[in-house]
Amino acid sequence: MPRDAFDVVLLGGGHNGLSAAITLARKGRSVCVLERGDRTGGMARSTQIALGVEAPEVAHLLYNLGPRVARELGVADLLETPPLPTVSLAPDGRHVVIEGDAARFADGTAHPDARAFTELSARLRRFAGILARLSLKPPPELDGGLTDMATLGELAGLARLGIDLKRLGRRELREFLRIVLGNAADLVLDEMPDGPLAGALCADAVRGNHVGPRSPGTVFNLMYRLGNGGAPRLPRGGMGALGEALERAARAAGADIRTGCEVARIMVADDRVTGVELRGGAVIAARAVLSSAGPLQTMVMAGVGHFDIEPLRRLRNLRCKGTVAKVNLLLRGAPAVTGLPDDMAPARLLVAPSVQAVERAFNPVKYDELPVAPVLEAVLHPPAGDGRCVLSVNVQHIPHTPAGGWDDAARDGLTGRTVAQLAAHMPGLAALVETAQLLTPADIEDRFGAPGGHWHHGEMGIDQILTLRPANGLAGYRLGVRGLYLCGAATHPGGDVTGLPGRNAARQLLGDGII
Amino acid sequence: MGRHDRYDAIIAGAGHNGLTTACYLARAGLRVLVVEKNDWIGGAAVSRSLHEGWTYSNCSYVCSLLRREIIRDLELPRFGLQVIPYEGGATFTRDGDYFAYYSDHDALRREMARHSAADVDAYARFSQAVMRQCRFIRPFLLRNAPDPTSLAPRDLGEMLFLVKRAHGLGRRELGETLRFWTMSIGDFLDEHFESDLIKAHLAGSGIIGTGLGVYSPGTAYVLLHHYMGDVDGTIGAWGFARGGMGAVSNALGASFEAAGGTIVTGSGVERFVVQGGRVTGVVLENGDSYDAPVVGSNMDVKRTFLKHTDRAALPDDFVRAVERFKIRGSSGKLNIALDALPEIPAAPKGAPFLRGDLHCSTSLAELERAYDDWKEGRWSADPYFDMLIPSQIDPTMAPPGRHMMTVFVQYAPYDLDADGVRSGENWTDAARQAFADCVFDKIEQAMPDIRRHVLHAEIRTPRDIEREVGLTEGNIFQGELTFDQLLFNRPVPGYAKYATPIRGLYLTGSTTHPGGGVMAAPGANAAREILRGLGKANRMPDHAA
Ligand SMILES: Cc1cc2nc3c(=O)[nH]c(=O)nc-3n(C[C@H](O)[C@H](O)[C@H](O)COP(=O)(O)OP(=O)(O)OC[C@H]3O[C@@H](n4cnc5c(N)ncnc54)[C@H](O)[C@@H]3O)c2cc1C
Ligand SMILES: Cc1cc2nc3c(=O)[nH]c(=O)nc-3n(C[C@H](O)[C@H](O)[C@H](O)COP(=O)(O)OP(=O)(O)OC[C@H]3O[C@@H](n4cnc5c(N)ncnc54)[C@H](O)[C@@H]3O)c2cc1C
Repeated sequence: MPRDAFDVVLLGGGHNGLSAAITLARKGRSVCVLERGDRTGGMARSTQIALGVEAPEVAHLLYNLGPRVARELGVADLLETPPLPTVSLAPDGRHVVIEGDAARFADGTAHPDARAFTELSARLRRFAGILARLSLKPPPELDGGLTDMATLGELAGLARLGIDLKRLGRRELREFLRIVLGNAADLVLDEMPDGPLAGALCADAVRGNHVGPRSPGTVFNLMYRLGNGGAPRLPRGGMGALGEALERAARAAGADIRTGCEVARIMVADDRVTGVELRGGAVIAARAVLSSAGPLQTMVMAGVGHFDIEPLRRLRNLRCKGTVAKVNLLLRGAPAVTGLPDDMAPARLLVAPSVQAVERAFNPVKYDELPVAPVLEAVLHPPAGDGRCVLSVNVQHIPHTPAGGWDDAARDGLTGRTVAQLAAHMPGLAALVETAQLLTPADIEDRFGAPGGHWHHGEMGIDQILTLRPANGLAGYRLGVRGLYLCGAATHPGGDVTGLPGRNAARQLLGDGII
Repeated sequence: MGRHDRYDAIIAGAGHNGLTTACYLARAGLRVLVVEKNDWIGGAAVSRSLHEGWTYSNCSYVCSLLRREIIRDLELPRFGLQVIPYEGGATFTRDGDYFAYYSDHDALRREMARHSAADVDAYARFSQAVMRQCRFIRPFLLRNAPDPTSLAPRDLGEMLFLVKRAHGLGRRELGETLRFWTMSIGDFLDEHFESDLIKAHLAGSGIIGTGLGVYSPGTAYVLLHHYMGDVDGTIGAWGFARGGMGAVSNALGASFEAAGGTIVTGSGVERFVVQGGRVTGVVLENGDSYDAPVVGSNMDVKRTFLKHTDRAALPDDFVRAVERFKIRGSSGKLNIALDALPEIPAAPKGAPFLRGDLHCSTSLAELERAYDDWKEGRWSADPYFDMLIPSQIDPTMAPPGRHMMTVFVQYAPYDLDADGVRSGENWTDAARQAFADCVFDKIEQAMPDIRRHVLHAEIRTPRDIEREVGLTEGNIFQGELTFDQLLFNRPVPGYAKYATPIRGLYLTGSTTHPGGGVMAAPGANAAREILRGLGKANRMPDHAA
């Protein structure tokens, strides 16, 4: 007879649910993770694309998992892999290689804008590092007025941030304040002419969000990704290994992890959470529920009648239009990239030939149309024993559902365009494809419950970050009913595989002293 | 050698802001000269007659932002300024319907309900939210922008003022304010309304004059920028200046001359004379030169420093910052002389809302697509326009029975694309005509017989606006109104207080805080800073909020 009462139930076994579980179980709380899929890891899990070949189902890289959190969660050893270089593929074959703050041509020759790039990149990284400190704590709520202890604590935290910013020196501080709310296109094109290098920066600035490089706020998005240095890397053993390691760590700490368990209802009595009911009717009692499902979906599972009309209205208006589709290609053998030395194959390949191209790729999604030339981020994963390998591709900007629906023509068209764009640099690619899997934003929403299929479960606009994430008045992970918390990417600091929302929410719960 | 003379202060440019600065300085007892390159004054607040019997408001065409403190200080009504509010407006659809905006609440509710019952309530929430933001921002307009990087007592004072106002909002409201200032107008409207037509009608104010689309973050602020004014105390109301927008500048000019000031028109400043890091005067294109220890430039920051100042006199950093200041032309305009009022079949004859702002853009998507065209260097194939016939209210604009129509068009690029090459040179007469035709085609949606009534039309592209007014790239606000160029960032971080790296040289135009529009606040603020610099702060009227 499995146990049916816990201190905490984690609704969703994505990497944030697991991070929360680890944090809570290590503090001696009894914890149960309920995941409706047959594996944990959520959008960071891997999937079997063919017998014996694993592929990252959705997320395929780490940009943003900080060493401190990795240590806390006990997965630091997985990160001891070399960062991947970024290669921005150029239509004329003069690909640009970016490693850290340095940029050069793939043939080893100097890039004319290398200096400008280094300066800009280093500056952004410095600013990003300071901003990243905000992500380790719940966002300031400034709730209790100036005499409240909690508020004073928050203010002290902000003051430290202020001191860090001041330490930049007045000139840099001014530069920070000028650019922080700005758009990536202007920031980048003020420093260098348009081309694959500028395009790469802007592709990183828009990735995952419903924005183009000209949209104000994209400089912040770029800095968000650079918060922990920004070097893209594959964890040892691939993305799937990270989810597995988190699951192991959670189990080791005592968490009970159950897959194939879908929560149908969150039970509330007298304005406090009492547990969850699974699809099928089984009930698990808990004093707290942390949900990494969407915020509105969580409210609905608990019954909207338990909430004030205002937060409900705000969550209904949460902006969460997913814009990234996933294409996984199983290839019969590793493709060669024209103009790229073979030893560069384990790289992050970008198709973002210019800022203008990225902006153009964004235009159609505003009208629920598909782009002619989407922006791509592709990773070639190490081959399996038989030489077959997986090329995983994040394809942007793709509407949740195009105006005519996702019929076969639309799906095949998207996969075809993706392959064709890559084939321009990988001759013979189409012939190598054994299997192509496409997950549209609609598929992703279906499969993982991510609101709108959105990368971050909710747009990372300036109006939806920090104190305003997921919505004004709901920033402290608490959702209005005692014991009910949010812990997924929709909360502060946001999405990507960072473990932060889950960890922060768990710490908030512990701090609130209700379990 | 041309003429030569000495003054206490010179203002380069007789735009309404330059004139405002000049007025305050003259009233403070200084001997002030205004030099203007055109043969007339007013800059973008001007009335000209280009067709016998008609007066055009060639650039700006409606008035609301002009600060009432300034109207009072400078006694503008005494010098002929009269602002007549207009009421209502409408957006016409392709299928012969319309949404009419009434300032009468009951009429507005009925009309909204005709399109969406839910939007009636939504509108109440929407206007409340916007009004709250207006009340928050208005007291900041006649002050320096708080500078978060400075510990100087005055800057701390401004910061404290901000904190106090922000604290007064309460936490929830503070959050709403942060959201409002950073959202797109499209998202803001989507959050409130369900009717596409109503959204489209309200969205225009979020994009007028900017190189942003309705879904670009930051455009809710641009809407606020258009709502924060008033006519006779009615916040958010707009009106016509009797005799066209030139009436504002002419009243300022008269007030200035009555205070003993001198205006010289017809030759522009060729350069600002700088010696040892200090401005000593100006040299005009015609060779005249004037000396003064204080010079204010009404030109935008790019024109002032990149065209008329010796680069060697400026710090490199500063020049760099000026070079990257964004000042994108995105607006065009038609000024039209009509032989009679055009038919508007959709609307009841003589409906009051026809005296207000008329539009033909019916959805946010249509507006966003108009922006996409501009990004590609084309004018919008399906443009947004803000169209008014002021002669219905102000009989001075056209002969009896005839009419004057003003059509502000968003978007038109400064550098027009032709065969993949973007250049201002591509604005040939044929291109300008094609642009106008495109606008007329869409006006026909509301007024099918419009073309029959046209006696004369002035077609203005961003390029034309630059040529005449000197607004770089034709940007109507002397610089984009985006976060990176507002408040303490406007126009250049570290130089947001009207003073520049050159001692004695000040910026007085809309290129400075709080930005563009016929507001006169930049001019008044600059005057305050100039007087403070001269140790004469007490001669500036106090506008303590
Ligand atoms: C196409 C795409 C590509 C991406 N690529 C990257 C990348 O390369 N690198 C990166 O860092 N980030 C990437 N991301 C973002 C990243 O994947 C997410 O931000 C992150 O995985 C979110 O983690 P989470 O734990 O908060 O939520 P999720 O991973 O979405 O996990 C939520 C879990 O809850 C479960 N669940 C939902 N409802 C219920 C229920 N009722 N009962 C039980 N279980 C439920 C779901 O099954 C899921 O497992 C990508 C996102 C997308 C869409
Ligand atoms: C088409 C259009 C429509 C608009 N509509 C409205 C509206 O309806 N309502 C509203 O509130 N705002 C409107 N605006 C915005 C508003 O008109 C401007 O922001 C405002 O008038 C700018 O005033 P200013 O005094 O700062 O500068 P300007 O008006 O630009 O004045 C600068 C002056 O300097 C002169 N000058 C330039 N170079 C030299 C030189 N070298 N030497 C001497 N003089 C020089 C120019 O000729 C000009 O007179 C509109 C603007 C435009 C272009």
